[in-house]
Amino acid sequence: MMAGILWLLLAVMGGLAVLPLFASGYIISFTIQIFMWIALAGSWNLISGFTGYVSFGHVAFFGIGSYTGALLVTKAGWHWLPASLAGCVPAAALALLIGYPCLRLKGPYFAIAMLGLNEVVRALVSYFESFTGGGSGISLPPILSIAPVYYAMGGVAIAVTLLTYRIITSRFGLRLLSIREDEIAAETMGINTSLMKLYAFLLSALFPGIVGGLYAWYSSYIEPLSVFPLLTTITMIIMCLFGGKGTVLGPVLGAVLLSVFQELVWARFIFVHQAIFGALIVGVVLLMPRGIMGVLQERYRLPRAV
Amino acid sequence: MMQVQITGTMLLQLVVSGLLAGGLYALVALGLSLVFGVMRVINLAHGALLMLGAYTTYWLFALFGLNPFLSLLVSVPMLFVVGAILQKLFVHRVVEAPELSSLLLTFGISIFIANVAMLAWSSDYRSVEFLTGSFILGQIAFSKPRLISFSVALGLTGLALLFLHRTKIGKAIRATSQHRDVAQICGINVRRIDMITFGLGAGLAGAGGSLVSIMFAVYPEMGLIYVFKSFLVVVLGGAGNYPGAFFGGLLLGLVEGLASLFLTAQLSEVIAYIFLVIVLLVRPAGLLGGRT
Repeated sequence: MMAGILWLLLAVMGGLAVLPLFASGYIISFTIQIFMWIALAGSWNLISGFTGYVSFGHVAFFGIGSYTGALLVTKAGWHWLPASLAGCVPAAALALLIGYPCLRLKGPYFAIAMLGLNEVVRALVSYFESFTGGGSGISLPPILSIAPVYYAMGGVAIAVTLLTYRIITSRFGLRLLSIREDEIAAETMGINTSLMKLYAFLLSALFPGIVGGLYAWYSSYIEPLSVFPLLTTITMIIMCLFGGKGTVLGPVLGAVLLSVFQELVWARFIFVHQAIFGALIVGVVLLMPRGIMGVLQERYRLPRAV
Repeated sequence: MMQVQITGTMLLQLVVSGLLAGGLYALVALGLSLVFGVMRVINLAHGALLMLGAYTTYWLFALFGLNPFLSLLVSVPMLFVVGAILQKLFVHRVVEAPELSSLLLTFGISIFIANVAMLAWSSDYRSVEFLTGSFILGQIAFSKPRLISFSVALGLTGLALLFLHRTKIGKAIRATSQHRDVAQICGINVRRIDMITFGLGAGLAGAGGSLVSIMFAVYPEMGLIYVFKSFLVVVLGGAGNYPGAFFGGLLLGLVEGLASLFLTAQLSEVIAYIFLVIVLLVRPAGLLGGRT
């Protein structure tokens, strides 16, 4: 079974590697979108799927990464790739700043702090106008070829997924899962739960920072409302939940299926889109709490580490 | 930023405005606190319910010219029913489940309600122009809508606390929040109490929304910030400490008012946020103490 899945994955990756050679621009940019969502949903999974601590403000890391990348390119003249990679530094710093006080506590404190975080970061970015351009945003030089962005975004998506696999098969992963299942019991067994949660949170903040930088370069223009929308957080959450939280392939499946569905169906009903997401979250929580992977695992006895 | 000479009058004015805003925070937070106390569920749809209350007042005023304060008689019972139905249909299934489920569920409900409101009423900013101007007492101005909303909020908070302490249902609610299992052994129908409590919480959110609508703009996404501020008030007052929520509300208003001396009002959310993080660092059990 495991070997079959591996072959399938290799075939898909091989196809994706040569895709930019022949596919149309539309297909390539759509695939970049999917890569982006895989990376974002996978990152959300690292903290919320594994430990059960819900991050309602993950887009803040994406947004702060976008601004870092855009400012490094426009003001410091960096190349786009290192500028995007540098986006993970402020994202991790912000995660440390919020995670340290809030993750020491059990209960909903973290979730609420994250709910407010996005508004706060957006207000600050708009306020420091001289530095960030405020509401009028930042324009980046237009990109000549999207293939490099395609490979970079794909690389981040793969990195997140491999890291998730690495975690789920490690003692660290078991510690995180034990926090999700019963935090007090985990503590009693000698796990430093505050520290483990903080590590998971830092890891989950790194990648959205990088993805944000790539997004800024790829879209050539950013402003506070375009890189800090609540909808981005909602989308990460629903993709991860729908695919199956706490699994390796869950966020990947969720990102691919919902992106395709979104492109084919919901693009025509742009206004009901968010309402559908709200209803979908309610539906998944009540009817399918373990997502598609949960259903597949029950039916086909898949190994735990997928 | 312009350097302003800080005078005693100015300080007093900010304290007054801060406290007037705080009364409203206390009212809204009491609803959140009740639901959390009884069911251990943080109702993230609390803000969306507040928004429904605000629209109720807006439409009754815009269509029939109904006095916004009288519209409380419609918005509170209506939101009570909405809350009870939400509890019965969805929330009761996650009361015993891990926190993750109830947070995500109420978050989903909140998005759904806010976006249906946007489809129905568009995302235009609307306002209820009912009362304007201020009373002047000495050198301090009391904005009329704020002063009256403050009094109404205070009255409603008092009524709710009286209800919790003096009536049989109120006592059952407090008993359930103290110990769910023991309350059940004592013959309290915990399921029914859950429903009533959720209805009450929603009703208080609706009342808050009606009062907010005469001071600030009404729009579908107005609620989110109130969830955050209400939670902060609950943390300040101590979780499960109902009178504590009242003082927490006043305190938050006061801090926001005074902080506006140093920062623009644009950053009032940032102030509330920094305040929350500091309180969590220093006194996670709340300034007034409470159960964790």
